[in-house]
Parts: sequence; C-alpha cells; structure tokens
Amino acid sequence: MSLWLRERMKFKHKKLSNGLDIIAEVNKDAQSAAFGFFVKTGSRDETDEISGVSHFLEHMLFKGTDRLSAHDANRRFDDLGAQYNAHTTEENTVFYSATLPAQLYEAAKLWCQLMRPAIRDDDFNMEKNVILEEIAMYKDVPEFDVRESCRSLHFGSHPCGKSILGSVESIKALSGRQMREYFSNRYAPNNITAAVAGNFDFEKVCDCLQVGCADWQPKQVDRFTDYFAGTAKKEHQKKKNLTCRYLCLAGPTVSYQDKRVYAAALLAKIIGDDTGSRFFWRLVDPAIAETAAMYCEAMDGIGVYYTLIRTPEENSSKVMQIVEDIFNSLQKEKISADELQKAKNKVLSAITIKNEIPMGRLIELGVNWTYLKEYRPIEDEIQRIKKVTLDDLMTLLQEFPFTPFTQFSLGPEK
Amino acid sequence: MPSAQKSNARVFNMTERTDIYKLANGMTILGIPMQQVQSAAFDFLLPAGAALMPDNSCGAPAVIEDWLFRGAGGKTSRELTDLLDGLGIHRGGSVESKHIALSAVLEAENLSLAIELYADIILKPALDEPQFEYSRQLALHGLAGLEDDPMHKTLLLLRQHFYPDPLGRSPVGKEEDLQNLTAQMSKHIISENFNVARIIFAVAGKYDFQKLCSLLEKLFAGQKPKKAKDIKAKAQSLAYHHLQHEGAQVHIGLMTPTVTPQNADYYNVRAAVAVLSGGMSSRLFTEVREKRGLCYAVGASYHSLKEMAGIGCYAGTTPDKAQQTYDVIIAEFKKLAEAIGQEELQRAKIGLESGLIMQSESTIARAQTAATDFYMLGRVRTLDEIKQQIEKTTVKSVLDFLKKNPFNKFCSVTIGPEKIKT
Repeated sequence: MSLWLRERMKFKHKKLSNGLDIIAEVNKDAQSAAFGFFVKTGSRDETDEISGVSHFLEHMLFKGTDRLSAHDANRRFDDLGAQYNAHTTEENTVFYSATLPAQLYEAAKLWCQLMRPAIRDDDFNMEKNVILEEIAMYKDVPEFDVRESCRSLHFGSHPCGKSILGSVESIKALSGRQMREYFSNRYAPNNITAAVAGNFDFEKVCDCLQVGCADWQPKQVDRFTDYFAGTAKKEHQKKKNLTCRYLCLAGPTVSYQDKRVYAAALLAKIIGDDTGSRFFWRLVDPAIAETAAMYCEAMDGIGVYYTLIRTPEENSSKVMQIVEDIFNSLQKEKISADELQKAKNKVLSAITIKNEIPMGRLIELGVNWTYLKEYRPIEDEIQRIKKVTLDDLMTLLQEFPFTPFTQFSLGPEK
Repeated sequence: MPSAQKSNARVFNMTERTDIYKLANGMTILGIPMQQVQSAAFDFLLPAGAALMPDNSCGAPAVIEDWLFRGAGGKTSRELTDLLDGLGIHRGGSVESKHIALSAVLEAENLSLAIELYADIILKPALDEPQFEYSRQLALHGLAGLEDDPMHKTLLLLRQHFYPDPLGRSPVGKEEDLQNLTAQMSKHIISENFNVARIIFAVAGKYDFQKLCSLLEKLFAGQKPKKAKDIKAKAQSLAYHHLQHEGAQVHIGLMTPTVTPQNADYYNVRAAVAVLSGGMSSRLFTEVREKRGLCYAVGASYHSLKEMAGIGCYAGTTPDKAQQTYDVIIAEFKKLAEAIGQEELQRAKIGLESGLIMQSESTIARAQTAATDFYMLGRVRTLDEIKQQIEKTTVKSVLDFLKKNPFNKFCSVTIGPEKIKT
C-alpha cells in the first residue's frame, strides 16, 4: 500500500513573491487533473452588517471580470469540458474544477482571471435574487436548518456562530461597495492557496499562475481565533408542516491544528457512524430513530462534535435519554479494541477510495495546507490513524467529554 | 470459462476490457478492470424492485433491503454488521423500478471476503421475524421523513405520474401497504423474486476475474433459475398534479417522454439534454438563473427505464416566481427544436465526453454503469464506443430527432404554497 502510494504521488511546492502558495501532488496514472483556489475566508470573518457576504461573493466570482462577462466565463469552462463549482463554509471559500489533463492549464488561467471579479452592480442585484432563493430553498431542508440553528446557539456571540448564507434582511441590505471592500481585505494572495492534483506538469501550471496572479497585492489578513467551548444552551422550535423531529447537538473538541484530531474523528465514528456504532445499535437498529450520526468538525483553533438525528416526534424524549446514556456511560462502558479497529478500517478504506480520484485528493491537499501550511502524504495520514490507541481516546474524552452539549431541535406544531 | 471483450481504445490512454461470465443458472458476472486503483467496488442487481411488487405491497423492497442485513448465513445481525465493518466496507443500497441494488466499495484485498458475506445476505438471510418489525418501522420512518423533504418528494411523485403504473412506483412505498406488510408476505416476495437467473453482478477496480468467477460459481451455482416475471403497465396520461405544502418554495418537476438507450437516437437525446442543461452556459441555467434570477436550483436530466424514458426537470422557487419559472422552462424545452448552434453542440459534446472519462475514475460508478448497461442493453458499452457515438452527433442529427419527437407533452408536479397554470 505505502510503496504503491509513494511511487505514484509526487509533492511539489512553490511560493510566488506575493505570498501565493502553489502546492501540487502529481499522479501520472490519473485520467484527470483537478485545480482549486482555497481562500481562507468565510462567515466567521464577517461582521453582522455584512452577514452572508463570503458566500454571496463566491457566487459573484462566476459573474466575470472587467474583460469577461458571466456568460463568457461559463462558456469557457464548458468549452474545456470542466466540472467546476465552489463552496463556502464558516472559514473557507473554495473554487475548484476537474478537467482532462490537457485542459488543466486553460482552466487554471481562467480561475486566475475570475479571482479578480468585476462585481458589477447589475450582476450583483440580479444574483441577490438567486441568493434569496437559496436561503428559501434551505428553509425547506430541515436537516440544514437545524444544524445552522444549533451552530448559532452553540457559538453564541463567537464569530463561528454566524450564518453562512446570511439572512434575508442582511442580504437585501448588502451593497456592492461593501462586498468590494470585503473582497479587497480577504482575497490577498497570502491568504490564498492554489492546489493541483492528478495528471499534469507542475512547471507549466506554475507558469500559468506566475502570469495570472502576478499583480495580486499582498495584504495583512487577520482572523479572530479565540477558543470557545460553546454555550451548552437548549432550544426547541416548532414549525408548521413538519412531520418528524430533527435534533442537532454540538459539543467542543480539538481543532484542526491539534494532533489529537485523528483520535477525535475515530471517536465520533465509534459513537455515531451510520453502521455498527453505538448510536446505530441503540437508536437506528431498533428503529427508535431513522438516522443518527455524529461527526467531528475540526476548525481553525476550535472544534465541534455534531450529532444529527431524525426521529418520529413521539420518540424524541426516548432518543435524548438514550443519547445522554451513551454519552454518560462512556467512562464505565469503555471503548473496546474491536470498536477502535473497526472505526480505523472504515476511515482507512475511505481514504483509499477518496484519494483515487484527483478531485477527492485536491480538497484534502488544499484544506491541509490552508490550516497547517504543511504537506501530509496519504501514507502519513494512514500511519497517524493506525497509531491512535484506546488510551488516546480516553484521554481525549477526559478533556472533551460529550456532556454538556448544546441542543437545538425542530419539530412539528402538533 | 470467463471471457473478455477487448477494445484497444483509440482515444483513451488505456486498454479497455470488459470481463463477462455467465453461470449455468443464468446469473451474469461482469468485470471492469482498473489497474491504477487499489479499491474494488461491486453492485448486485436483485430483480425485486418497486414495480415487481404485488399491488398491496408497495414499499416492501425498502423493508427487505434492510431486513437482509439483519443476520445471514448463521450469523446474527450484530455479527454480520461487525464483519462488514471490520472489512472497512462502504455500503450502499437502493430500490429502483426493477431492482434492489446492493453496492459496496472497499480495499481490493478484502473483496473475496466481502462477496462471501454478500452471498449469505442474498441467499441465506436469517429473516428473523422480530427483526422484520424494526425494518418495517424504519421504512415507515423513511416515508414520514419524505413529507419534510419536498424536493425529493417532487422527484418521486413526478416519476410516479410520468411512468405508467407500476413502472414509476415510489421506492419508499405507501403507508397503508407498509402498515399491513407482514414478515410472511415479505418472505414470499423474496422467494418469488430473488431469481438467480436475473441477478446481475458487476465489479470494477482491482480484482482477479478467474478467482472471482470460481468464488461466485461456488457460492451461487447451487441456485436454480425461476420463471421470469412479466409485468403489465397500465396506460397513463400526462397531467398536472399539485400538493399543497406551506413551505418556503414551490418545488416544480416536469418530465417529457423520449427514447430509451436501446434506440438509435439515444445519443441525439443525450446531446439535446446537454445543450439544455449540461454546464453552466447551457440554456436552462442561463435563461432561468443567470438572466432572470428565478431560482438557485434548476436542471434537467435524462432518466430511463427499460420500457420507457423521459427528460426530467426540477426547479425550486419562491411562490411569486413559480409561474414565470415554469413558463420559461417549458419555452426552453420547446425552443430547442428550432435551432442549435454549432459551437453550442460542440460544447455540450465536450462536456459529455469529459464527464464520461472523469466518471470512469470511480470504481463504484464503473460497476454500477456496467450492471445497468447489461440490464438495459444485454451488453456493456465501452467508453470508446460511447465517445464515438457522442462524436457522431451533429446539429442536423439532433434537430432532425427533435423535429420528429417534439417536446410537447409534459407531466408536471408542484409541491408548495401555490399552484401554477400549465
């Protein structure tokens, strides 16, 4: 396994004079190549006044530049046969595409242009409608709604609690000028990583970026990263036309930068994977809840264990009793070696599968560099997971027990 | 012994091969070797889909799919789950019109052990009655959950109203049927429908086909074939259906009939759909979202059963924009036959071809496509063949097809606070 990976994956890195990092992992066996810009900015970097601007700006990048209309940009990606998109989280905005190897360089050049968007007022006003539709769409997705509300409740006034989409009011009030100002403060080359994965020539990509990003000016970019354990508040909201109960719990854990992040991810799998976990046997297998999952979201300087459950309304009290029992009994019903091994096997096979596709590898590569400024070969990742012991899990649990936790639930009116 | 179809691919940087083997009882084994990967994925198509159920048992396949994993081959539910998890298998399961599809992806070294467990699950499930009740309850929870997911519900209702019954039946079933479903009824369905002669098994990734065939022979050869079931579809007229739901958006689904993959015009349809809704410069995205800001989500796609196919479209929008959204989408469907630009078609073809190659990097996508191809066409198309067929389409061939088969009949569904006029 490791020899196979070492032979195939070659890491490359170059830093441009304006601070832009170019990182790449070359795999000459791949049928495609993936390219992405990882901007270290998201909703946690916004003020209340401009809530939702990071995500809205992500949309506006596709609206073209001073020399390129929105339709031209879309057409050029489609001419390359690219599969391309972007996403915004609390702390990252990621733009990415996958193409056949020969088209990678043109795709990279196009991204370089789009990363300096025109943000024209008429495009801005038209896209505002699309953002408002996106907010409305997610209002009809209770799993999304409950997670957003729980995050906000958990973080209180800490910036990590800010909404990614913003509210109808904040989006309506947002101006093009505010967005342009946010852009100039956050999209500095020293706050961006260009990542490439798959089959390509590194020097050729660097040449494209050298030309395409040469006039991007560096700037001091800051982020508030104080640690916060969460409010541990509990709230319930009734909503008309809902049939089921949606529960979201949030509790503190380690950050992305913490070495114990692998132990935290394995612990979440042991408790809340979709098969064979403690949640599975106590909640889903006996059909008390329809779904129950836990995952670890390791962020910049902070981390959260999220639990998401969908259950019939009449079972919701029982579900919470069982969840609390699972959390509280971890000290006496210790995790077994077998549970840890199964969680490791699932994580290890997921790594193999995800990294076989350049697009899967790109995201891993870019995110790692954004947080750690270091390259982590797949082989290292595998070793770090294999080395996690039962003692590591218990030590972690002592510092970050699952209780107390924040809880938000959404349920039907009747 | 196993045979192999070879094509020295002209356009792809690989030698493409499809391994095919049939057991004496009719079970089909397909393999797509991918030397550049360390994983393997497989897909079992079991002929027990939603359309094959008795009239009072809608939703039974969803129950059965869960029940099968609750113990098999003398192992309890927990022992079986522990073994599957121990192999690091990522499981998938779905109910389709004609099949229950059980898929798995894992590290290739564990493939044989995984197949042995799946053979137990398919051929020797415990079918324990107390466990049945849990599976039935979970299916009922799934049905209740659909009420809170208007986008997904729109798509299921659309297929239900578009395809003649029972072809478009919902995989989640009906509440009344699920309430009345018993373990005995479900056991009967399994024994009637799990016909080994109609099971298709496909693997893709790293595997040894000879070894795999010997293993599957050992596990499945003892099963006798059964008489194939035929179903008669009722006539269906395409109409508009609305469900009142006080949500934030009106969820719009529409579908118009077109040709199936067996038809000579299949690639003309795929090209037409790509012009309509391929990339972000395609017509629907441009006209509905970019120029008018009517929606966040809008898109059309091709969907096919063996007997019948359609082009489906979904859009979600706030109530005051619903009528305009519907009108613009219908106008774009109808306008397609009037003219298609040379560059526009070329762009659509490039998108189809590069999407094809990128999808081919995924072991699970390759296994699923091979199984579906074999079910639909009785053979597995090579990537090279598909690419050549896409390349052959021209503006003239696509427009000729659209003129002969105009998009003038639509089945429409809306779920939301407002109706629309169709």
